[in-house]
Amino acid sequence: MELSVAMSGVVKRFGAVQALAGVDLELRPGEIHALLGENGAGKTTLMNVLYGMFSPDAGAISVGGREVNFRSPHDAIAAGVGMVHQHFKLVPTLTVAENMVLGQRGGPLLRRRELAAVSARLRALADRYGLDVDPDARVWQLSVGEQQRVEILRALYRDARILVLDEPTATLTPPETQRLFPKLRALAAEGASIVFITHHLEDVIEWADRITVLRRGERVGTLKPADSSAEDLARMMVGRDVRLMRVVAGEAPTAGEGRALRQRESAAPVLEVEGLQARGDRGTTALHDVSFSVAPGEILAIAGVEGNGQPELEEAVFGLRAPEAGTVTLDGRDVTRCEPAERMRLGMGLVPSDRYRRGLIRELSVAENLALDRLGRPPFGTELRLDRQAIAKHAADLIERFSIQVSGPEQLAGTLSGGNAQRLVLARTLSRELRCLVAAQPTRGLDVGAIEFVWEQLAAARDCGVAILLISTDLDEVMSMADRCCVMYRGGLVADWSRERLDREKVGLAMGGASNGGPPRAAAAAEGPV
Amino acid sequence: MSVSQAATRPLWLPPQSRRLRAGLSSLGAVLLSLVVGGVLVLIAGGEPVSAYGALIDGAFGSPYAIGQMLVLAVPLLIMGLGLALAFRGRVYNVGAEGQLFMGALAGGVVAIFLPVAFDPLLIAASIFAGMAAGAAWGGIVGVLRARWGVNEVITSLLLNFVAILIFTYCVRRPLRAPGSPDLQGRSIDPNAALPVLPDLAVHVGVFLAIALVPLAAYLMARTPFGMRVRMLGFNAEAARAAGVSSRRMVMALMLISGGLAGLAGVLQTLGVSERLDLGISQGYGFTAIVVALLGRLNATGVLLAAVFIAVLQSGGQAMSVTEGLPYAIVLAIPGVFVVFLLIADRLARG
Repeated sequence: MELSVAMSGVVKRFGAVQALAGVDLELRPGEIHALLGENGAGKTTLMNVLYGMFSPDAGAISVGGREVNFRSPHDAIAAGVGMVHQHFKLVPTLTVAENMVLGQRGGPLLRRRELAAVSARLRALADRYGLDVDPDARVWQLSVGEQQRVEILRALYRDARILVLDEPTATLTPPETQRLFPKLRALAAEGASIVFITHHLEDVIEWADRITVLRRGERVGTLKPADSSAEDLARMMVGRDVRLMRVVAGEAPTAGEGRALRQRESAAPVLEVEGLQARGDRGTTALHDVSFSVAPGEILAIAGVEGNGQPELEEAVFGLRAPEAGTVTLDGRDVTRCEPAERMRLGMGLVPSDRYRRGLIRELSVAENLALDRLGRPPFGTELRLDRQAIAKHAADLIERFSIQVSGPEQLAGTLSGGNAQRLVLARTLSRELRCLVAAQPTRGLDVGAIEFVWEQLAAARDCGVAILLISTDLDEVMSMADRCCVMYRGGLVADWSRERLDREKVGLAMGGASNGGPPRAAAAAEGPV
Repeated sequence: MSVSQAATRPLWLPPQSRRLRAGLSSLGAVLLSLVVGGVLVLIAGGEPVSAYGALIDGAFGSPYAIGQMLVLAVPLLIMGLGLALAFRGRVYNVGAEGQLFMGALAGGVVAIFLPVAFDPLLIAASIFAGMAAGAAWGGIVGVLRARWGVNEVITSLLLNFVAILIFTYCVRRPLRAPGSPDLQGRSIDPNAALPVLPDLAVHVGVFLAIALVPLAAYLMARTPFGMRVRMLGFNAEAARAAGVSSRRMVMALMLISGGLAGLAGVLQTLGVSERLDLGISQGYGFTAIVVALLGRLNATGVLLAAVFIAVLQSGGQAMSVTEGLPYAIVLAIPGVFVVFLLIADRLARG
């Protein structure tokens, strides 16, 4: 059988960094091929080379048996390669159909009649592959899952025979994920080759025909899911045994739980949120009557699919967004109107969901970033003088303790990889005296090694008596970490389960909006807002 | 391969160091704008080499010429420092002109009416009043931005006109010099006039201005405040999440940059015009924006930029007289310069 893509010995350097060190990859028609690897392993780089975004420094690529040399994605698209990026490249104010023809030379962008033809063809495509999307809807009105379908449709519209998806399940609900893959399977059945990049081992094992594992720019191996277990794959990815896999399976309780349990029974809650209501950036109600409390030494996980009010909850609790109603109480003190600085003084900490936007300042050094929240206080000097030496010493200490991979404390924080950036944020937050920690999507986009580290740190903080509010869209994370779990749906909390009553399927269903046996108060909240 | 590449790195490639690259691009922009200035001189029927000679001579030809140049540099430097600090925190105060006039008015009123015989005390009181008034005028902008999120570019710009009109009204009506028919404001108490250095004919405010340079450099680089300003400028969201109150910072930056503009206004009044005079600023508050940007929001850079602009402007006046060329050519050079600087920046960043 002829290969649809053959990449051999592909090398790509960025300055001094070798992102790909001679990688081979073969794609067959009709297969779903998973590309697995840690952050920075070179998965996305490899696919960007195939898509013509980067030209390789060495190596050969052939598509459909013909050697190619793409200068831009235009060439790649012409050769039948389509890519769905992790961050969608759609214009929100245009319709789905308009987005299809955007960027096509001589495209019939503004002509109504021809756009109608585009819509008709899209409908046909959408029907054929079960990618239900309204071609005349404006992109901003669509959910994340729908936008992804639009991206896939766009690739198909341009006659892609080779479809690359970068982290397609990162932002989808479990049910949406379960819907996506059969559609990809149907595509493959017609002879298309599909590559998807992922961290999710379960998706790989369940859906891939073959798996290629990359590590540090090299191919570790290509294998079939039947020949490998999740543990094998994880070991191949990180090059060592990872204890995490046990936790991912949702079986092993993390250490120290017994102690935490005893501690929490007698203690008064640290964080209490009552009737919180807030608007989102677009002025629509994003939080509706949200109430919960977190005891010392307890992790309350707020599960939920993205787009149900999580960023607003994170911001409102930490004082970055003014609520319209409701109260936030920290250790019995009403802090609803307090600035973040005041909450921090009272022992609140934040691991923000957007670590580059909120967690660190790219233009400052790692050392400066590690001291951002404690400038002007001993031992870092006074308001009249920054003690640079103390800052450097503090940084060296934290870099060691949190194993942050840096060339030195003076490295700019903007050059850190996702995992190291998160280590930096955690190091800064957890090295303060904490009473309560808001951790929002703390492992999003991280590789297994880093996820393990983050979870360990959160568990350790919990065992020290910190009350942790864990806002997460990752069901694995919720299942492994939660002492208690609520589900967020359309701005309200729809369930409240203790760890003993936590059931993966129930949580997954509630995340998708299938309201079920939650307590009456929470269930009522679910019906309230729209 | 990579080693030999590094060794034979072509000279025309931008250098690796960011600092060096920024310096070189500034220098390149200076040279290019001087070339364009030369072309303008040619178009105006002059001779570029002798014109630039006349310009240099006009700025440095005699102790008095140097003094005049320095007198011009003082307000540009003082305001440039304040604006550089504010711009670092992305607080775009373009109202230094108005803050200067409010400072001149308040400082002038104190220097006219305050019955204090002891000179240093009178001068100190006048300077304090001027800085306070400039800070207050800037503070209006700060409150509007911090409290209601009103864009400071618009409010500070428009408040310039309000301030200038208030000043104009005062020198026409309540504070007009007795018996003077035109726009002459009252003279200040002679005791409040700043001492002037012999030969150079520069008021002692120049020392104050120079002393502010290391102070500003220290504030920007070595204090928690300076760090918070940078945090705010780089990433306001992250700064807020790290406990920096952007409201307080915006207020502080408007008060400081406004206060320094007010100081410039007082020094012009006590050291240059010695009366309430609409002529104490030829748009210096706007030129100071150029100075701050040209100096790359860096204290030493602002010092160099202030002198550079002062040389162009004071030398340019001499040039236009001796060479018979329009002064507008000289005024064009800094404008051309900023355009080149922006281009060079883009190129340097690659």
